[in-house]
Amino acid sequence: MYSGVVLEHFRRPRNHRALEAPTAAHEAHNPLCGDRVRVEVVVERGVVRDAAFTANACAVCTASASMLTERVIGVPVRDAARLSDGDALAALDTSLPTARVACATLPLRALHGALAQLPATV
Amino acid sequence: MADLLEQLESLRTTERRVAMATLVGARGGSPRPLGAKLFVGEGDGGRLVGSVSIGGCVDARVVEHGERLLRENRAERVTVVVDDEEALELGLACGAEFDMLIEPVRLDVADAAIDAYERAIRAARAGRTAFVVTRFDGATAARDVLDEPPGAPDESAFVERFAPPDSLVLVGASDVGAALARLARTLGFRVVVVDGRDRYATRERFASADEIRVGMPSDVVQPFLTDGAFLVLASHEYKYELPILRDALRRPLRFVGMLAGRKRAASVRGLLREDGLSDAEIARLHAPIGLDIGGREPEEIALSIAAQLIAVREGKAIARRA
Repeated sequence: MYSGVVLEHFRRPRNHRALEAPTAAHEAHNPLCGDRVRVEVVVERGVVRDAAFTANACAVCTASASMLTERVIGVPVRDAARLSDGDALAALDTSLPTARVACATLPLRALHGALAQLPATV
Repeated sequence: MADLLEQLESLRTTERRVAMATLVGARGGSPRPLGAKLFVGEGDGGRLVGSVSIGGCVDARVVEHGERLLRENRAERVTVVVDDEEALELGLACGAEFDMLIEPVRLDVADAAIDAYERAIRAARAGRTAFVVTRFDGATAARDVLDEPPGAPDESAFVERFAPPDSLVLVGASDVGAALARLARTLGFRVVVVDGRDRYATRERFASADEIRVGMPSDVVQPFLTDGAFLVLASHEYKYELPILRDALRRPLRFVGMLAGRKRAASVRGLLREDGLSDAEIARLHAPIGLDIGGREPEEIALSIAAQLIAVREGKAIARRA
């Protein structure tokens, strides 16, 4: 059903941890299915130096969070903020039913929520 | 199973004065533990709250003694002997003897006995064990509330222990969870409900729960996974089960159970094994959960789980499902 990428990142998620001193963090959740994902970032001089997540979420959501955090480490904040739902879905390399799209994009909402909290000076 | 404080709160709504009967001794077996209480309201039709036996002739005689001692306004140690000869001959009575301390207590004004019990129960609700030590000199009963059991054995003292209630951490605000929360609260558990969905984990659905926590379940559950706690995963969602079980099965909880069929339970065990849990740790998981009584409705499933929780609490061999 899922691509090997999804299963690989679900069973061996990257950056699945809590950061000691995140610059910003945000938890997003789906009120109906109950997926919850918190994304934390460390930002220095406008660049995402570290990113991590914790989740109580389905395989798709967990895999998406894993890939998203891998993708944004070392990336300027302005570029990370421009990532779209389409980017998150494409990374999964799988065809998702409409009802599961929200699972794949939930980590992106958490990331955008965290980046929105950053003070202008970092 | 309302605790003593809840019984007293209920009695205060209608009664100013009651006889409090406490089971202080038993010979030949007793269906109720020592310390069990029966409150007898004044006059014909006075309310009866609690019990010192499982009903029948013992409670009836205690009610008669209670009414008499209320009229006489004095305390007495009473022995009730189950000696109905016909019942004994038929093997329908146990021939046991029960000792009761029966004393009038006031509910409308300060009363030393009531005050002692209320202090002890408040301590227990706050997580501390308290001991009420009662000494009866033949006319009056005097009580002390201690935070440790009295040191030297004292035959003239009757000691009651008030421990914090067992804690049930219920993850998953499903209909089964709601039914189990109601049952478990009635059975004397302190019930904490945890879910990631605030539309499910509501006070309306979990009116009797002691606490409702919404958030990342594996995070918000942490403070409640204390030694000896009972954990029931009723979410039927691996997204909550796996992160919580990875941690909970390594803690000295008294019970960890998960709502799942055999096939799904086997899959969850397999994933936990891949995550590095040992066979011994995984063996602590009760899944499928509940005694096999055949029900399918939420209330029936909750009843089967509640029965298993009681069996574990009482140390019965039936505690693990075949």
